[in-house]
Amino acid sequence: MSLYQVNKLLRDINCSMELAHRCQSEPEAVLQQYDLTAEEREAIKGWQVRRLYDMGANPLLLLVYSMAAGKDMRTYVAAMNEKVSG
Amino acid sequence: MAEIVAGIATSHVPFLAMHPQFELAEEGQRTRVVAGLGEARKIIEQTRPDAIVIFSTDHFDRCFYDNLPPFLVGVGEEAEGPINEWLRMPKVKLKIVSELGRFIVSEGLENGVDFASSQELPLDHAEVVPLSFITPTWNIPIVPIVVNAFAPPMPSLKRCWQVGAFVRKTITRWPQQKRIAVIGTGGISHWVGPPETGKVNAEFDRWFLQCLVDGKSAEVIEKYRNAEELEKIAGNGGQEIRDWLAVAAAMPSRLKPRVLAYEPIPQWATGTGVMAWV
Repeated sequence: MSLYQVNKLLRDINCSMELAHRCQSEPEAVLQQYDLTAEEREAIKGWQVRRLYDMGANPLLLLVYSMAAGKDMRTYVAAMNEKVSG
Repeated sequence: MAEIVAGIATSHVPFLAMHPQFELAEEGQRTRVVAGLGEARKIIEQTRPDAIVIFSTDHFDRCFYDNLPPFLVGVGEEAEGPINEWLRMPKVKLKIVSELGRFIVSEGLENGVDFASSQELPLDHAEVVPLSFITPTWNIPIVPIVVNAFAPPMPSLKRCWQVGAFVRKTITRWPQQKRIAVIGTGGISHWVGPPETGKVNAEFDRWFLQCLVDGKSAEVIEKYRNAEELEKIAGNGGQEIRDWLAVAAAMPSRLKPRVLAYEPIPQWATGTGVMAWV
């Protein structure tokens, strides 16, 4: 059920550039406010969108959160199609 | 009584209003899409609506899994947006015809369509991008109806058609001598966020447009009763055809459909279409 919290964080970043910036400058402080597993925290901190997608995060949220985080579409699509190890 | 004078259905791909992403599309394709939207603008200017009822999609910036209505009507005095700062579009403020919005909600609740309503509904790119082409002076007030097309479980295509038909009947029962246009925005095929992002299914899009032109929406509704089947063929963004079906259902029979533009544009990750009923 904590995937709800992943989607919630992605939604919040989509709606707030300030939060998008804070998630980059002080990720621990931001992530602490959400009930996330260690794996989810790691995937968000490392912008591992394919891993988050495979966990079940909503794809639209992954894309708009990435746009808010300043990624361009080409970088996003490349990351989404990376082979996932492990 | 109010009268429905025109209908428009169009994609709302944000890259239409973002630079340099707009220029990524081939020049001929983007010129034809903008020309189609220009034609939609002329139709609105010529039919002179007093208000626009606009069916559009939420992108998790107005609704979320904590509170997820299938159909949400804006009934405040005005609405501002787009809410997403990353679009880097200037914010606009639009008047809402709250009297008509409240009429649609209350008539619905009395007659089997359980609309949710909001006094503070912000706009997102689903309204602002197409309206920036169709009503660029922002002079026509709106009634926004936001449809859940991204967060399963979603209302079925059939239900969206029924709601569109209900809105047509309700507008024509509204006891004011007003001219109303109905717009629907979204789609057509696109994959927004999954590994297939960038893919477009032009064959599906052309079939869908032809079904609407031929008055065969029932065929679309029957074929894609299952949302997962629609997602396989048209992507998660293809679920936004709900808004097109709602407009088609809202059209009185005297208004005839025609396609104003269609271009499959992988650079915008969207099968981009514009259609009108006049």
